[in-house]
Amino acid sequence: MNGRVLILSFLFILQACSTGSSKPPANLLALTEAQMKIRSYQTRVFDLSDQQKTLRAVVSALMDLGFIVERVNAPLGLVTAAKFAGSGNSGFVEATVMIKPKGDNQMEIRANAIFNTKPIEDPKVYQNFFTTLQKSLFSS
Amino acid sequence: MPKPESFFQLSPSSAKHKALQSRIIESSKDTELLSASAAVLQDLGFQIEESNTAAGMLRAVKERSAREYSQEITRGFVFLLGLFAQTAIIIPVDLHQQIAATLVMHPIDNSSSRFNVRIVFYRTIWKSDGASGSQSIPPGSQSMEMIYNAKIYQQFFAKLSKSVFLEIHQI
Repeated sequence: MNGRVLILSFLFILQACSTGSSKPPANLLALTEAQMKIRSYQTRVFDLSDQQKTLRAVVSALMDLGFIVERVNAPLGLVTAAKFAGSGNSGFVEATVMIKPKGDNQMEIRANAIFNTKPIEDPKVYQNFFTTLQKSLFSS
Repeated sequence: MPKPESFFQLSPSSAKHKALQSRIIESSKDTELLSASAAVLQDLGFQIEESNTAAGMLRAVKERSAREYSQEITRGFVFLLGLFAQTAIIIPVDLHQQIAATLVMHPIDNSSSRFNVRIVFYRTIWKSDGASGSQSIPPGSQSMEMIYNAKIYQQFFAKLSKSVFLEIHQI
């Protein structure tokens, strides 16, 4: 009987501890300096005026890279694409590209990609994407 | 572990694949061409999952069995070999597949009635269960491959040009 009370009280203490530690951190949604840095190398501005044409060039570039275009929202200028990568196609790369007009004759393009649920934070990756996109933009 | 830098780099074969997957097709209206494409995909047994007129895009899938005799025979043969060694070896075989297609089209230049149509076929395969000695292999492991068989693309585009003709003449 005594043992059971002991176990029960131990469980209560354990429960109290777990609720105490599961509090979300205060800076969960705060904008960090790293986020601003990531945003800056994920974004490029191009001298283009036609959003639809830019959207098509983005789709074309992604397809050239072997991505499968999953969703396109033309009025919003949003493209979601994915591809299998890595050894034996075991990994999964997912990319979202957003195109929005900046002023009258400029387009701001932002790309972000994840690899196996982990965000890609290497600037070189985005540089490569924009190089490919440039080829697609000015060849069509 | 693959290098993420390569994910957004053009591969040497990307131009070849682009040529294989694209054709120039004449049509008076983009919606006409898009609905003709949807009709061809439906003829081929696909279900249209997503469509976007403004971007000229379609996505379609079909589910089929992926069983092949050759794999079943290999499985039986390996199982028999395993019996000699007194272990149960059952190789997982391909069970089910989802074949998907994404089609994108855009006018070649603003005034003309010529469109560049590009389609990509790919498939995802699910494997059955198996066993290696006393250890069992659970079913459902997935693999994926892009389809680069020229014949499939040629057949699709042949059907598409026919379909465009039927659409124009309202047959």
